[in-house]
Amino acid sequence: MDFQLLLSSYASVFTNLQVVLMTLLGAFGGILLGAIPGMTATMGVALLVPFSFGMDLIPAVGLLLGIYCGGMYGGSISAILIHTPGTPSAAATLIDGYPMTQKGQGGYALSVAMFSSFCGGIIGALIMTFASPVIARAAMNFNSGEMFMLAVFGLSVIIAISGRSVVKGLISGFLGMTLCTVGLDPTNGLPRFITRSQTGLYEGFAFIPALIGMFAVAEVIAGVERIVRGTERHAVSHEKITRVLPDGGTIGRIWPNILSGALIGTFVGAIPGAGGDIAVFVSYGANKSFSRQPEKWGTGIPNGVAATESANNGCSGGAMIPLLALGVPGDAVTAVLLGAFIMKGIQPGPMMYVSELPTVYGVFAALMLANLAMLLVGCAGVRFFAKIVSVEKTVLYPIILVVSLLGAFSINKNVFDLGVCVGFGVFGWLMNKYEFPLSPILLTLILGPMCEQNFVRYMNLNHGDFTRIFHSPIAMTFLGLAVLSILYSIWNQGRINRLQAAEAERA
Amino acid sequence: MKSLKKVLALTLVMLMVLALAGTVYGKDYPKKDVYVICPWGAGGGTDVCLRALCQAMGEELGVNLTVDNITGGGGIVGHQAIANAEPDGYNIGMITFELSTYLSLGTELTWENYDLLGRVNTDAAALSVNAKWAADNGITDLASFVAYAKAHPGIQLGGSSNASVWHIAGGYLEEATGIDVEMITYQTGAAAAVKAAASGEIAGVTVSLAEASSFLQSGTLVCLGVMDAERNAKFPNVPTFREQGVDVIYGTWRGMGAPKGMSAEALAALREAVAKACQNKTFVEAMANLGQTISYLDAAEYGAFLKNNAEAVAASMKALGLNQD
Repeated sequence: MDFQLLLSSYASVFTNLQVVLMTLLGAFGGILLGAIPGMTATMGVALLVPFSFGMDLIPAVGLLLGIYCGGMYGGSISAILIHTPGTPSAAATLIDGYPMTQKGQGGYALSVAMFSSFCGGIIGALIMTFASPVIARAAMNFNSGEMFMLAVFGLSVIIAISGRSVVKGLISGFLGMTLCTVGLDPTNGLPRFITRSQTGLYEGFAFIPALIGMFAVAEVIAGVERIVRGTERHAVSHEKITRVLPDGGTIGRIWPNILSGALIGTFVGAIPGAGGDIAVFVSYGANKSFSRQPEKWGTGIPNGVAATESANNGCSGGAMIPLLALGVPGDAVTAVLLGAFIMKGIQPGPMMYVSELPTVYGVFAALMLANLAMLLVGCAGVRFFAKIVSVEKTVLYPIILVVSLLGAFSINKNVFDLGVCVGFGVFGWLMNKYEFPLSPILLTLILGPMCEQNFVRYMNLNHGDFTRIFHSPIAMTFLGLAVLSILYSIWNQGRINRLQAAEAERA
Repeated sequence: MKSLKKVLALTLVMLMVLALAGTVYGKDYPKKDVYVICPWGAGGGTDVCLRALCQAMGEELGVNLTVDNITGGGGIVGHQAIANAEPDGYNIGMITFELSTYLSLGTELTWENYDLLGRVNTDAAALSVNAKWAADNGITDLASFVAYAKAHPGIQLGGSSNASVWHIAGGYLEEATGIDVEMITYQTGAAAAVKAAASGEIAGVTVSLAEASSFLQSGTLVCLGVMDAERNAKFPNVPTFREQGVDVIYGTWRGMGAPKGMSAEALAALREAVAKACQNKTFVEAMANLGQTISYLDAAEYGAFLKNNAEAVAASMKALGLNQD
């Protein structure tokens, strides 16, 4: 660790006006794009890559990281306020964020999300700065078998996010897993449940259109139903936003969630091939399990928002590690970032820490700056964003519908995806109506392909001998965690149901 | 006075006719921006290559070329969109190697669905293996690898996703050397396969030199040969397959295509723009940074190349059992 070089790199990044301005611009754009369903940070980064061709590397990286971090927080704004994750990484934020809005605490939820995002991002960036060579070496040990067991561990979270009925949660999860099997089989390219002419389904149901459909479109259908039945009540938010950051008392209650969320986020992000969308669910499940009041989770408490938002921003720091040290991107945004580095003539990989150390430290500093920029822009925006809730529903729903369909289309520019989006909208509405939780479907849609690809590859590598996985300590650790998590969650859910029943009796 | 008015009117009419004639017969393509379809995602290898090319083509044509990513279905959706676009001269797109595989995968799409504008880039496949594995088994060059592979059939190599260019490279390797390897699919791309080879999960990879470069430089992987006619400028120490007595040239390619039925004028202008763009200084620099090789072919040569490529790829896919018909 060359501290002299580290310090001078930080100093040169923070005092370079072009870098600071570009990062602020990126954070602003990222928050806006992230907040609009379907306009993900990935898209923002991809759109701006050609724009950054003419810039030096570090200002360009500052701009792109600004969008990345801004988008991570931005996705939570729509998740909290209108029950639609703006990006997949914000998918777990709505479990507690939206109930907070329903209780008239939308602005409060936003400030908790922003503060947690910032802390998570800074912790992730610090870990990345000081431990990345060590973590990168460990990440090399994550091969197909380990990745499969990580996915299994991720799936064990289903029970914790199922809500009241574990059975209904499992049914949702199985439905999600089944939906993952549609399309060309990822190993041999054989069509499953489709014909060769259905090119729109080759890669299965497009994930973002499905996500937008299940949440945004389903919410609009449910809203229209309420308006038609006359049960919709116009909720003018009387919440007074006196401060844009959470007060000391709140921070005192949520800091354990922030810390563990950031650590889980950084850890998951550092695994090549795993990103923020997985980290948030693992963090939510773990934090709920260790909570002293698990029955409050899912009813709208700031701890739930803190656990997920710190995880997805912590992940951005973690994801830089395999990107820079191994050249393997963890999610869609880092894949685009990889392209941007190569465009500048820098090939990320093991030689990066040998021949391009100043660049590496520059990226560390830019990530730190990007998190600060996100906090600044976010603080300025909280009051405005919170107003969305007060918009007349007959005006709001059509806007959400149009923006959602636009987002679903713009991912692949494929008209077929609009059908997927609307189809999943009806599906999501029906699921909600019969009280099947949607989060398990989302989780299985994320983890299903990862599970299948790594399992089939593992079996191919070992000529069908699965028992060899018992020789991998990492895989066995994940398996053990998965078993523990399942058993504990079932016991915990029973306790939660008893507590809630007792509370209902008292009320 | 009256005659003056007549003269004036006549002059104006003449001018208008001339102006009209100008728009019909004059050298006036293009009149507006050209829409360019990229069948792969924004920020990927094809996308960055295409955007840099469009910048250079725009300088030649004097209009903007706007890139739009129409993705999905392993590139089929975007390739189909280019073939189906209005042939008015303002809709073109980039076609890539995967086009040669679509017929074997059970669709109707081939290179014959397009009017070709020119080939832009090729990148050769290379055989890179884990350095420790090679040392343990006494493998130093292609000949010793082939000898080892004949004694130990079923060596596991990685090559990106199913039926991708680097996956099919395994078929070429088998056909050219008579060995039997097992290709493992890494659905998330070449980077994951390279990492797996570096960690020792698989013995090696058949991806391009650029994609394995960092691990080659660090010495974790060693390259036994590149399937190209000449050595790579960035890796002058890596011999070609031909030098080692194995005659195989194979790699990925990218080029520009247009829907069939464009006017001859538009076609000629676009072809010239592609040719000149390939020599544009900024584009040449950008491609050098990307580690992508510019290898321009004009439309006729490109067509002959694609015909051969389609046949050879189909044969290789058959050898790997990838064909669906």
